[in-house]
Amino acid sequence: MLPELFSPLGDPVRTAFLGAFYVVACSLAVTVGLALLRARRDLRAGRADAIRWREEFDDLPEARRRCRHAASGRMPGRVCPNGFDCRGCEMHQALLASLPAAGPAAASDGGDILGFDLPRSRAYHRGHTWVEVLEDGTARVGLDDFGARLVGKPDEVTLPAPGTTLRANGPGWGLRRGRARVRVLSPLDGKVVETGGPDRGWYLRLAPSGDGWDLRHLLRDGEVRPWMLREVENLQSRLNGAGARASLADGGTPMPDFPEACPQADWEGIWREAFLDP
Amino acid sequence: MDRSWLPATRSRAPLARFALWLLPWVALLAVGVYAAGRCLVRGLNQTNMDNRFVFGLWIFLDLAIIALGAGAFVSGVLVYLLKRDEVKDVIGTALVVGFACYSGAIFALMVDVGQPLRAWFTFWHPNPHSMLAEITFCLTCYLGVLAIEYVPLVLRHRRARSASPLLVFQFELHHLMVVLAAVGAFLSFFHQGSLGGLFGVLRGRPFAFREGFAVWPTTFFLFVLSAVATGPAFLILITRLASAITGKRLVRQRTVDFLGRLSAWLLIAYAGVKSLDTLVWLNRTTPASGFHPYEFYSQPPFGGWILLTEIVALALVPGLILLGEARRRSTPWLLTGAALACAGVTLNRFVLTIQTLALPTLPVDHLLLYVPSWQEVATFAAIVAYGVILYSLSYRYLPLFPHEEELAAAPPVRATGAGPRPPREARHAA
Repeated sequence: MLPELFSPLGDPVRTAFLGAFYVVACSLAVTVGLALLRARRDLRAGRADAIRWREEFDDLPEARRRCRHAASGRMPGRVCPNGFDCRGCEMHQALLASLPAAGPAAASDGGDILGFDLPRSRAYHRGHTWVEVLEDGTARVGLDDFGARLVGKPDEVTLPAPGTTLRANGPGWGLRRGRARVRVLSPLDGKVVETGGPDRGWYLRLAPSGDGWDLRHLLRDGEVRPWMLREVENLQSRLNGAGARASLADGGTPMPDFPEACPQADWEGIWREAFLDP
Repeated sequence: MDRSWLPATRSRAPLARFALWLLPWVALLAVGVYAAGRCLVRGLNQTNMDNRFVFGLWIFLDLAIIALGAGAFVSGVLVYLLKRDEVKDVIGTALVVGFACYSGAIFALMVDVGQPLRAWFTFWHPNPHSMLAEITFCLTCYLGVLAIEYVPLVLRHRRARSASPLLVFQFELHHLMVVLAAVGAFLSFFHQGSLGGLFGVLRGRPFAFREGFAVWPTTFFLFVLSAVATGPAFLILITRLASAITGKRLVRQRTVDFLGRLSAWLLIAYAGVKSLDTLVWLNRTTPASGFHPYEFYSQPPFGGWILLTEIVALALVPGLILLGEARRRSTPWLLTGAALACAGVTLNRFVLTIQTLALPTLPVDHLLLYVPSWQEVATFAAIVAYGVILYSLSYRYLPLFPHEEELAAAPPVRATGAGPRPPREARHAA
């Protein structure tokens, strides 16, 4: 019944030789089993969203993983090693400490940037969402003007139910237009207390998970402009091959609904790149 | 039509054009599966092998594609054990190519050996005195390794990733890849070697017989070295062909440089060791067997040219081609070097399987001629078609090349792919 390998008459050399291969086979099985166990542990600990973002972030092209200080010219070419979560980044803290205290911002540092309305009172996530902390301690979250024009009028918005806990860089809400779908990243850790929609100008109102809001990972003031310039440049290069009309930078304002203005472009691809959903 | 299945931020050909590309390969695969089915149902009388010519096209194919598929374990060792980040550019390709090569080889073996439902006998009642037992175990285990390594790549598909359990499993499995890379290296070393050793121990075939160290003839080590040398060259060839077909740059030049340099040095080392081995065989081993080496090379079409071609034209020359930085940056030179290296290992496997069996070993013998039957050729072609289909599907639907988008956005390279050579200071700074 037993394989000859384990036969009592088998010589030790033969058993050792072939046993090595059974050990290899067992180690493969153990490796897969270990991966399954660790996956189960991660799922139970609620780490799936963090892992998802880690994987998606790694899949982003290097140009889209640039550190915020690369865009502002302080550390050219640096790639973010923390998945855009600067809250635990020592480099970010050190750089902030070394910078002179922020003076009055230049007129071009907020508000209107290339025709996009990006109020200076808000903080911005690189997945094209904004955050505005309200007086009652909750925070409103919405798509920034660039993101809103990029999507135009969505056919369907999938919002999390009130009471849902969201994590920064985890899935926030979903958008669909035609057959194209994209998920928008939540810019904050918090609990959903109210949902809005495209018509209300904001999508979610969140209550903080802990003592208050930690917005250190979001872009503000002078960081917004270089980031937005890069985003517009990237969009232009994506639209170049999509039959967009030749245009000059003549001071015109952006169209309110980009997909409607240029329907032949690969909008799902553009959305996924802009909303960091590779 | 399949837009929602494609990598979101990467451009792919329309489905109709892709289907048109696949069509001839699917047809070839269908014919091959029919031919293999005939062999399995009716037996090996469908082939032109016989009791003298027991190894034919299929075993030659097995040896060749297993050598060419060595890029999988080489790149696995480089990425996961030696932490060479630049090789990550081709690790996906290496995995798919390795998996296609090894699964294709096992399919060919299944048709050749027959009775696949009794395959478990090999594992339950192994004959450890045969190198074939080691090969069977290593090949099966290594195919298992490749399959497990392929799983995270498949689970990175955007549809699969939307399911959290699959995503997390993929993530965790990927973190254990170092174990699989080490196991893969162990298995590959032994089965590449044993495939060579299998011929080197044939005392009754003086053309193949070699002396060696302990129980291992020199062919054991030569097979390992030639496979390790050719694997990276085959990866260069495949990725450049994929670039040419898709019209996109897929791999960074620094990766090509590294793989080319690695392959070049190993090919030159192989040419040296092979020359030494041949000299010992010509001057000591063969006379001791009662033969004159001339006898092996006086049987047309197997003349002395085949030996020179194998060592000089298809090992030393591609090594020298791939060694030069300027030549690695020129697409025609790079492709020539890589193709010659792959042709070299293929010719070596041909010589050891077909020439060994064709040459007479007794005074009453004569040169045997073997021409494969259409069933053998069709099965062979089916395995090639299967490899092309698997790679095409993987390229289309999976994130095979991590820097594809960045390279697509980068300025186009010159027609030769060379681009201006930066000054020495700039290269050092880079």
